[in-house]
Amino acid sequence: MTMAHAGRWRIDRIPGRLRFLALVAAYLALVAMCLATLAAEGELSMGRNPWTNLVKSVGEFSRPSFFDLWFGERKLEYRSDDGTLLRVENRREVEAKFIASLGEATWTTIRIATLGSLLGALIALPLGMLAARNLAAPRPLAWAAKGVLDVTRAIHTLVFGLVLVGIVGLGPTAGILAIALHSMGTYGKFYAESIETLDMNAVEAVRAVGASPLQVFFNAVWPSVLPQFVSSHLYVWEYNIRDSTILGLIGAGGLGLLIAEATALFQWGRLATILLVVIVLVSVFDAMSRRIRQALL
Amino acid sequence: MTAPRHIVEIDGLVCQVRGRTMLEIDRLSIAGGERIAIVGPNGAGKSTLLRTLSGFMLPARGAARVLGRPIGTRSRSRDLRRLRSEVGHVMQGLHLVQRLSAIENVLIGALGRLAGWRSWTRCYGARDVADAESALRDVGMLAKADERADRLSGGERQKVAIARMLMQRPKLILADEPTASLDPLAAAEICGLLAAAAQGATLITVVHNPSLLPMLADRVLGLKRGRVAFDLPLAELDDQRLSSLYRPDAQSVLPVLAGRTDQPTEPSR
Repeated sequence: MTMAHAGRWRIDRIPGRLRFLALVAAYLALVAMCLATLAAEGELSMGRNPWTNLVKSVGEFSRPSFFDLWFGERKLEYRSDDGTLLRVENRREVEAKFIASLGEATWTTIRIATLGSLLGALIALPLGMLAARNLAAPRPLAWAAKGVLDVTRAIHTLVFGLVLVGIVGLGPTAGILAIALHSMGTYGKFYAESIETLDMNAVEAVRAVGASPLQVFFNAVWPSVLPQFVSSHLYVWEYNIRDSTILGLIGAGGLGLLIAEATALFQWGRLATILLVVIVLVSVFDAMSRRIRQALL
Repeated sequence: MTAPRHIVEIDGLVCQVRGRTMLEIDRLSIAGGERIAIVGPNGAGKSTLLRTLSGFMLPARGAARVLGRPIGTRSRSRDLRRLRSEVGHVMQGLHLVQRLSAIENVLIGALGRLAGWRSWTRCYGARDVADAESALRDVGMLAKADERADRLSGGERQKVAIARMLMQRPKLILADEPTASLDPLAAAEICGLLAAAAQGATLITVVHNPSLLPMLADRVLGLKRGRVAFDLPLAELDDQRLSSLYRPDAQSVLPVLAGRTDQPTEPSR
């Protein structure tokens, strides 16, 4: 080994290297254990005809229901076994009504996400300030604030939604509160981080000219954290749009409700339409939020 | 003619940080209009002394009088704030609000005089804005008045900080290593600006580089381990005194100063 190579295996570097390899080995062992035990319990199966099912589903999805708006039959007849006319449907009208309800559901989803995000942001603001380490809040308060933020982040929005539907009833209110309670944790974390990365030197320099605490806040703290707060709000709002789309599954209204209906009635064409709307909604919001955030920073 | 009033009077001052005594000065007087340099190794208490003089640190024992205002163990924050608005403290390192423009940073210097909603919304009167512009012109930064602070170079930021200090129209100027991390040309420029700003006021500077002393001081205070090692007029300062200040004792490991003509090596923090 040349001297250069010998350098890489110097005594004081070996413990770090071994530690890393040991962690990788432990991780691989865990993965192996997961696979092995699931296989042993017989839970890794893919059903009886995965490929046939896949092909069938793809086929059903590739004919989204909104095609019927233009290509649907205007006079679809439903007859019973002996030929009696049961019902006549105008597919185009039926699908047009569905699209209208889809629009309304999208609007409800947006409303749930927006109000829920704002509520979560407002509740999290004092909690985030308490949890920030450099503002030196009294220890028990800071600890309690951090605890509340961690717990609410751990509980999924859907779980909050289920509980809230039992408290405030079905409808968007439960959705708004569920979004607020879950995203409060993320907001608080972002706020605390923004405050912790505050340039305390600048704060001190403003104090050095004899500024009062309020002056210090508005002149040194606020200009630094406000853009970060707005950026965090946009980020979490976009996440909440995605979260809100399925809240309807538990009765909070919006797109989730339509998804639940379409799935229950095996209307894959309609499900395809709804999913397309969800994808467009989330993408548009994502792009908008990213643009604004870039302009801010 | 009455004797000039003392700007700074120190009486048995002891400053502690977390139980460690950082500064212990029995008696020190600084008259108005003096220009003083404080030298000494790291940890000698130079910054502590400046922070005490501008009311950022309360002494553990003893008292000081700065600009006629008392600083003691029980001083109230409102009084300290009033003191701070009359003392221009230029700190070392980055100390501008990054997201604000140069002129907005300079206007912060007026906050000690203003109160109320105007100072919260950064809505300054025309007179203050004119003062800020003239301060920026004095330091040569008027062209970059609207640049955001985080887009300025180190030397430019230091100039904006000095302009902010000029807004306060202070009677006592404290400069804590104003030329740290600046190249020799920028360092000389900053020292010139400080000397000009100190016309009619008292200037106390902490410096490491002895070649800058003639620009900034008539009197040199050497601190070592929180105590005054020497207090001499600049003319009486010689290499031996300076190097004995920085020479390591048995405990410390500071490098020895080679001599006044060379740049001293900065011990790593």
